[in-house]
Amino acid sequence: MKPMLSTDLNVAETTVEKAKIEVKNLNFYYGQSKALKDINLSLPERSVTAFIGPSGCGKSTLLRVLNRIYELYPKQSAEGQVLLDGKNILDRSQDLNLLRTKIGMVFQKPTPFPMSIYENIAFGVRLYEKISKAEMDSRVEQALKRAALWSEVKDKLNASGLSLSGGQQQRLCIARTVAVKPEVILLDEPASALDPLSTAKIEELIDELQADYTIVIVTHNMQQAARVSRQTAFMYLGELVEFDRTEKIFTSPREKRTQDYITGRFG
Amino acid sequence: MSTAQSLHQSRKRKNAVMMALCVIAAGIGLAWLALILGALLYKGLSGVNLAVFTEMTPPPGDAGGLLNAIYGSIVMTVIGIIVGTPIGVLAGTYMAEYGRFSRLTTVVRFINDILLSAPSIIIGLFVYELMVRPMGHFSAIAGAVALSILVIPVVVRTTEDMLNLVPNALREAGTAIGAPRWVVIRSVAYRAALSGIVTGILLAIARISGETAPLLFTALNNQFWSSNLNAPMASLPVTIFQFALSPYEEWQQLAWTGALIITLTVLGLSIFARSLTGRREDR
Repeated sequence: MKPMLSTDLNVAETTVEKAKIEVKNLNFYYGQSKALKDINLSLPERSVTAFIGPSGCGKSTLLRVLNRIYELYPKQSAEGQVLLDGKNILDRSQDLNLLRTKIGMVFQKPTPFPMSIYENIAFGVRLYEKISKAEMDSRVEQALKRAALWSEVKDKLNASGLSLSGGQQQRLCIARTVAVKPEVILLDEPASALDPLSTAKIEELIDELQADYTIVIVTHNMQQAARVSRQTAFMYLGELVEFDRTEKIFTSPREKRTQDYITGRFG
Repeated sequence: MSTAQSLHQSRKRKNAVMMALCVIAAGIGLAWLALILGALLYKGLSGVNLAVFTEMTPPPGDAGGLLNAIYGSIVMTVIGIIVGTPIGVLAGTYMAEYGRFSRLTTVVRFINDILLSAPSIIIGLFVYELMVRPMGHFSAIAGAVALSILVIPVVVRTTEDMLNLVPNALREAGTAIGAPRWVVIRSVAYRAALSGIVTGILLAIARISGETAPLLFTALNNQFWSSNLNAPMASLPVTIFQFALSPYEEWQQLAWTGALIITLTVLGLSIFARSLTGRREDR
């Protein structure tokens, strides 16, 4: 159980900052097969944490536990604890829709809803708030500004969200997520379907957003993890191998497997 | 000639033969369609006049129109669609959204496929036993019910298929923003699948507007104007059936004209449905 040991050490190191999410003894199953094995880690508030590792290592799975989106599918189950501000969100009594307004998510492929740019953002806001047209207008504007998209779309808010380019669509999805005022934003390989320029814009955005949000990003691009995150978790075969400050992971990792992965010896 | 060249030559020959066979087969299929449309236009068009749309079906040997039959067809088709569509859409929604992974869905899909290919005359007999016999007489409402039973499987199938085409990522995105299941279905999945679902409904209209067998057992026919849903009602297909088999020239002419009207209506609906689907693919 070496990985667990190193994790515990890291938790001690990083608890200087307040933990927003704490994962304790988390196991995850797809039917019979175990996809996450005894994961323990703590994500500090208002900072970017990256999950890296080879395909199938469980990094996306771990992310999908944090907002319980996996519950859309039968035969997927989690056991253990995930504490959001000290409250276990895996608890049966947890209201899933409310949880997801607190923990937003952006996916690998841009997923604009089949409606106008304005409606894409108003849709989520309207679900939980009753506000006037003027308030909604300013809310939409704020969200689009936040996602660095306002200047590009301010003259065509009624155009379909699908008419935007891939990079713009992804920023629309970020705007939509930000508009409902979440506390945590989960990003599942948000730039892997985008060109380098759009990727740079998204990364810039992540950097700005961490002032207000706790951000978790899954990426298979190690340079990206190094660029945007403050902590990095390296996962392998469903285990959390090492979790530490990003520069530590990339310069002097404790584990040989981490070393091998970041130097490109496997994965 | 080298081996490679001769192989190439023989492949080219085979390709030519296969292509010729395919073109001939496609030509045969198209030729029948062209012949039918041609005959309909030739024989039917000459009978199209104002009287067709303003006068009732005539007694033998008299001039007249098809107004009561057209009206009856529209009434029963509309009721059939109004009754069948919500049931079909909701069932399809259950299968594609709520019950995607459930056993019930597999069973329902299987039964629905059987219903989809069931001969319509059996549906007619079923409704005859269910409604006409207990009520003691033929009625428009029984005809409409028979048609709605034909609508349901078509709409169930297309609704399920179209919703299944909506990427799961879109549902996850809706869910991830905190939308409850039914909001995701209503505002995201339905919207993404709308043109496909509407196409299914249009195809269902096209299907039932030409059905004769189920109406023979239920609405029967009515030579006169009747808007009473509790009484026999005329319809285009049944009128065509009756008039085409008759020895009277006026009736035969009206049958051709009626056939032309139905065909053009169905053709128009199909083209409209196509244009909806096409627009979705463009996007």
